Amino acid sequence: MNLRFARFLVVALLFLGMTGGAVSAVDMESSRFRIDSANVNSAAGNKSSTNYKLSDTIGQLAAGEFSSTGYVVKAGFQYLHSIIPFRFSISDINVALGTLTPNVPVTASTVLTVYFGAAGQYLVTAIEESPFKTQSGNAIPDTSCNGGGDTCSESLAKVWDSVSAYGFGYGMSGDDIPADFIDATYFRPFPDRTAAESPATVMTSINVGKNRISTLTFKVNISPIQPAGSYQTIINFVATPSF
Amino acid sequence: MTVGVVFLLLTSSVNAQQVSLSISPPILELVIKPGKSIMVAYRVGNLGDPTILTTKILPFEPKDNLGNIRIKKEFDGPVRFGLDNADLQLEQPFFLKTGDSQQLLLRIRLPEGAPEGDYYYTLLAETVPPKSSEGIGSAQARVDIGSNILITVTESGSVEVKPKIALFSTLGGLILDRDLKIYDSFDKIPLTLIVENKGKNMIKPEGEITLKGNFGEEIKYDIIPKNILSMSQRLVEATPSAQFEKPVSLTLSGFFVGLYRLSTKLTFGENSPTVFASTSFLALPFKLIVGLIVVIIITTFVIRKFSTQEDED
Repeated sequence: MNLRFARFLVVALLFLGMTGGAVSAVDMESSRFRIDSANVNSAAGNKSSTNYKLSDTIGQLAAGEFSSTGYVVKAGFQYLHSIIPFRFSISDINVALGTLTPNVPVTASTVLTVYFGAAGQYLVTAIEESPFKTQSGNAIPDTSCNGGGDTCSESLAKVWDSVSAYGFGYGMSGDDIPADFIDATYFRPFPDRTAAESPATVMTSINVGKNRISTLTFKVNISPIQPAGSYQTIINFVATPSF
Repeated sequence: MTVGVVFLLLTSSVNAQQVSLSISPPILELVIKPGKSIMVAYRVGNLGDPTILTTKILPFEPKDNLGNIRIKKEFDGPVRFGLDNADLQLEQPFFLKTGDSQQLLLRIRLPEGAPEGDYYYTLLAETVPPKSSEGIGSAQARVDIGSNILITVTESGSVEVKPKIALFSTLGGLILDRDLKIYDSFDKIPLTLIVENKGKNMIKPEGEITLKGNFGEEIKYDIIPKNILSMSQRLVEATPSAQFEKPVSLTLSGFFVGLYRLSTKLTFGENSPTVFASTSFLALPFKLIVGLIVVIIITTFVIRKFSTQEDED
């Protein structure tokens, strides 16, 4: 009797597992977005393939308004309820790295904050205006991190924890940072504007909320043959919303 | 007196200098006829320490299909910009104290004969970096905050709407067929929808993504209407917008069993033609089945063991 009941129970469980599949737990609600229709009148032909359909058309944007004024203008994001200012903050724009001693890495941090209402996309980039150098032109090279398998680049962070690996670079932690900054030992060199390099993305998100915060840590480590002097550089941070 | 000077020199610590800027509106879309001009009021606010700012306008281009931009180094294009402020011009420094803001009356002018097409620019407000600290290593920051300006130049008001769905597919899974993938019932299923704009004017998709199940159930997800610039692609998102390891349009989560069909239908304004695409996926409870098989084996083993013991007793 017990054996029969056990067999029945197992078969019933298996049946339920195979057929109990209704779609569930998919949240459709969102109060953050509103879709407004653009005023486009159009006429055109369609081209289609198996699954995709391509359309060519010529539209007329807000025809009445355009013909009377010669322009149509819209400010702010159409899918947001209001025009929300885009805000960007840096906690310290004069980051002191102190007196540099050979083989003693120095770090100092600044906090980046992006505020963009409840939704919207943004991008923050960074580039050094020139290498980290003295007025007489002695430069601390951009870091390659530990070198070998841990050689970093302007677009790829690698481990930099060796006291005999010299240079200047930065690490990131916090919201919306590049994924290659795995932990506090990962660094990259800044792109150099004088070398015609492109700015590096340091924060970005296609789904941003209020107060997205990250910490950028500058790091410098000099060799014993590095000439003495007052080393400086300017980092250009550019924050822009998307389109 | 001497002691006082020495004390001052020894305590010349540098206080953190904060920059916090805001700009509004964050984006401007303008359709304009050659020979016309328009004035738009911007406001740049300073919520940080007092600072000196300059404004400039540079063109930009799409950097990727995620809506990021690449600002060009030099100005180009036929659009002419200037400030209508009585006491301020572009690239002229101005001072903003804490909590203050400056209205910028931006004049956008299209000369007669300006070529039709789209032109994309960013209005930038830029800080002047602080003076460096002598005697120590230091890094100063120059901060720019921008607002994008999307301009369509057209003589007649006609714009070219030429969209194509470049990709509509679920990610991951086991590929059975070109349009059919298999997932476990408990998997989150990421969906990517990339729309290409092959025209010379920007477009803005509207519409929905529909999920249909094998029992007739149907769920619709609204597309978030974002601009797709001329001759570029963009990942189009749907609500609820998705967070995944990499950017996706939508993440389907739940318990799925059977064959499901995903379709999307996009329009680009009233009376515009529709573009559509579809794909399918099959979901089966593999993990559950494996779990049940393990349970069956263990149960059978236990029952047999007890049965043997009963028979021996």
